[in-house]
Amino acid sequence: MDHEALAREMRGLREEVTGITDTALAAADGMLIAADTAESIDPEGLAALAAAGLGLARRTAAATARGALRQTVTYGSQGCVAFYAVGDTALMVVLGDEGMDVNRLHRATHPALDRIGSILTEKTPEGV
Amino acid sequence: MDHGGLAHALTACGRDGFTGELRVPGSPGGAFHLRDGLVVAAESPGAPGAEALLLRSERIDGEQWAELVRGTGERWPTAALVERGYAGAAQLRVVCLMALQDAAFAVVAGRVDACERVTGTEPHAPVAPGERPARLLEDAVRKVAAVDALPYPVRPDRERPLPMASPQQACTPLQRDLLAHADGRRTARDLAFRTGRGVYTVTVEIARMLSEGLLECAGPLAPVPLLMAPEAPVARQREQAAPEPEAPPSAELPHRAPGASGITEVLPPPTSGVSWKGFFRLRHGTAE
Repeated sequence: MDHEALAREMRGLREEVTGITDTALAAADGMLIAADTAESIDPEGLAALAAAGLGLARRTAAATARGALRQTVTYGSQGCVAFYAVGDTALMVVLGDEGMDVNRLHRATHPALDRIGSILTEKTPEGV
Repeated sequence: MDHGGLAHALTACGRDGFTGELRVPGSPGGAFHLRDGLVVAAESPGAPGAEALLLRSERIDGEQWAELVRGTGERWPTAALVERGYAGAAQLRVVCLMALQDAAFAVVAGRVDACERVTGTEPHAPVAPGERPARLLEDAVRKVAAVDALPYPVRPDRERPLPMASPQQACTPLQRDLLAHADGRRTARDLAFRTGRGVYTVTVEIARMLSEGLLECAGPLAPVPLLMAPEAPVARQREQAAPEPEAPPSAELPHRAPGASGITEVLPPPTSGVSWKGFFRLRHGTAE
């Protein structure tokens, strides 16, 4: 896995969308892969919550025939948390403050998710 | 499009007596709401809105705010806020005007890609009677020039300062808040949201604190450290041999029997006489 490319994608997203405060990437079972988070956030705990939340949303979408899950967003009075599935093996969490434009976030995130998915699943060269 | 384009579009709205919204895509971009050619509200992801300023000021908490919005059906419940004593009518007008001018500053300080008129939208927290577009823009341009003229010019979305002193060494409440929240990740814009203050105020103060040595920047292009799990789990394509249990193909949701979880034996009985068993499912518009 190309850690530098992953870091570039995560930082790039924060630079691109005004209002993103933190991002984290985890395997679908909630194990943390990478985090660009402030000290006040526990990235392992966030990854576990994201896996649980996204799993529940995915089952809900299936049980109610809503098609493939795109994302879930939790809105609070001081910001929001968006959970995205990265393929079916990983997930990404994006935290934003109350100024973040969520539609703009979705537009910027979906192409980034494809690229992150490719980085995560790319084969390590033989002998490395 | 440069800022001249924005000035042209906004003054044209004023000249035409336009009522509606002038959307300004860009970074951070934003929108100006006009009534009869006067700007009554402006919002931008680059500046805290009136709601954010009010909630972060801790005059009212998130739950009380949600209750007021639900109760009145208004997104900016002025009368209810005054009636319940959360803020005075004059204070609310000032907050709305500050948010309007601050959003204009954020838009002008950033990149403007285009301007497009939209009708049929309503602003959250309008001011009456409104600001003349030319005056509003002049004020924003003057503020951007003032920041650029400081010994340590700061852009709202560029510098990510680190504290060089403890919050106890601060001279003002604003400095104390900035020293407490600056962490090398947050920009002036992020700190404005975090502390519930205008982005112009925070940008100027950060510039001053940088020149006084209370804050320091690693440089605009310094990479933000990123935590990588030491043994990062490698996401792989799902193995064919381990299929996920599929949801049943039928659209039926799983049925649960009341009390099957045993939770009623663990939790104390409800104190009110109302029971959840009284709920019914609506099917085809009638109660079962």
